[in-house]
Amino acid sequence: MNGPASTEKTTCECLVASLSADLCAVPRHAAARRILTGLGLGLLATGAALGLGLGIRHDLMAAMHGGGFWMKAAYAATLGALGLAATLRLARPDCGPQRKLWLLLLPLALLSVMATAELLHTPRAQWLDMWLGHSWKACAGVVLLLSLPILTGLLWALKRLAPTRLALAGATAGLAAGAWAACLYCLHCPETSAVFVLTWYSLGIALATGLGALLGPRLLRW
Amino acid sequence: MRTGETELRDWMIRALDGDGKAYARLLDALVPRLRAFFRRRMAGRDDDIEDLLQETLIALHTRRMTYDRARSFTGWLYAIARYKMIDHFRRQGRTVPIEGLEESLSIASFEDEVGAGLDTEALLATIPDKQARAIRATRIDGLSTAEAAEREGMGESDVKVSTHRGLKALAARVREAIR
Repeated sequence: MNGPASTEKTTCECLVASLSADLCAVPRHAAARRILTGLGLGLLATGAALGLGLGIRHDLMAAMHGGGFWMKAAYAATLGALGLAATLRLARPDCGPQRKLWLLLLPLALLSVMATAELLHTPRAQWLDMWLGHSWKACAGVVLLLSLPILTGLLWALKRLAPTRLALAGATAGLAAGAWAACLYCLHCPETSAVFVLTWYSLGIALATGLGALLGPRLLRW
Repeated sequence: MRTGETELRDWMIRALDGDGKAYARLLDALVPRLRAFFRRRMAGRDDDIEDLLQETLIALHTRRMTYDRARSFTGWLYAIARYKMIDHFRRQGRTVPIEGLEESLSIASFEDEVGAGLDTEALLATIPDKQARAIRATRIDGLSTAEAAEREGMGESDVKVSTHRGLKALAARVREAIR
């Protein structure tokens, strides 16, 4: 090798030298910590927006004795945990095929069963009221809005990591953001029917997921 | 001898703990590998290859926190190299010759690359432990049947039979993977 090739070689050697001189230790699980930091900051912002903007429902203590509250919270938290786990996996370049994503169908299936049972125990005339509740027009949009700080936090974290499937990583970040936002929204929302949650909460979470999938390829390139 | 997964991974882990010497050794060992990786996929475009090589080294450096110490190092490394290459093609847009792209994107050729350095271990983990130990002793560590039997605490005929069955099982795995 001579001429340009040998100068390239020295450039490369220089690069290696400067990179190894610049080295500082990386703590274990640094990537996971970064993602959790993003999530935590997002949750704080969303929680503040919820508390100051929408307000916490006044009968929260009483509501926490009922099953409806926990059904909503558990549904959202399960989706949130699965979305977060997928985001943690997709932050690595060698994430491989995402075979665990089908697990997301489980909470959906479980809630569908509950919603069906609920409908069977309710007179047909009340179905529409139960489905639309008092707040169907606002629910999905509010969940989407509340998810934005969390999505920002997660995308900020992913930006410095190494996702190679950008749309999917964005989507799972959106899913986690939407689901955790929905979980916090439970503190405000008085609806208790499974049909309502299955439709409008899921719609809000799906919108956040879609937004994440759109933003991923645009914001996460490296 | 060519450095293998175990050694590279060891250097990487020490680098993550802040050992600059191990890191320099690691990067030095990676340069020819990455150059070969890109050259095989982008023959005749040496300037691009050198650019990509440097971009990959920088990406590896700035995103080293995404390496999970419990997982394969070469798998992680080539995933970064592959991403960088695809990104490079994407930026260049129309100038990509299709046949070259297809070859470079194909999973098979990627696994080819990784497969050599990467774990025979991973493959050995898919067959029963006794067979794996027998193969490791006789075929990888190069012991004689008698030595292997002594080291693994097995009978000599057991070593022979286990090696034979294990190799057969491995061949079947590989055949499945190719199909």
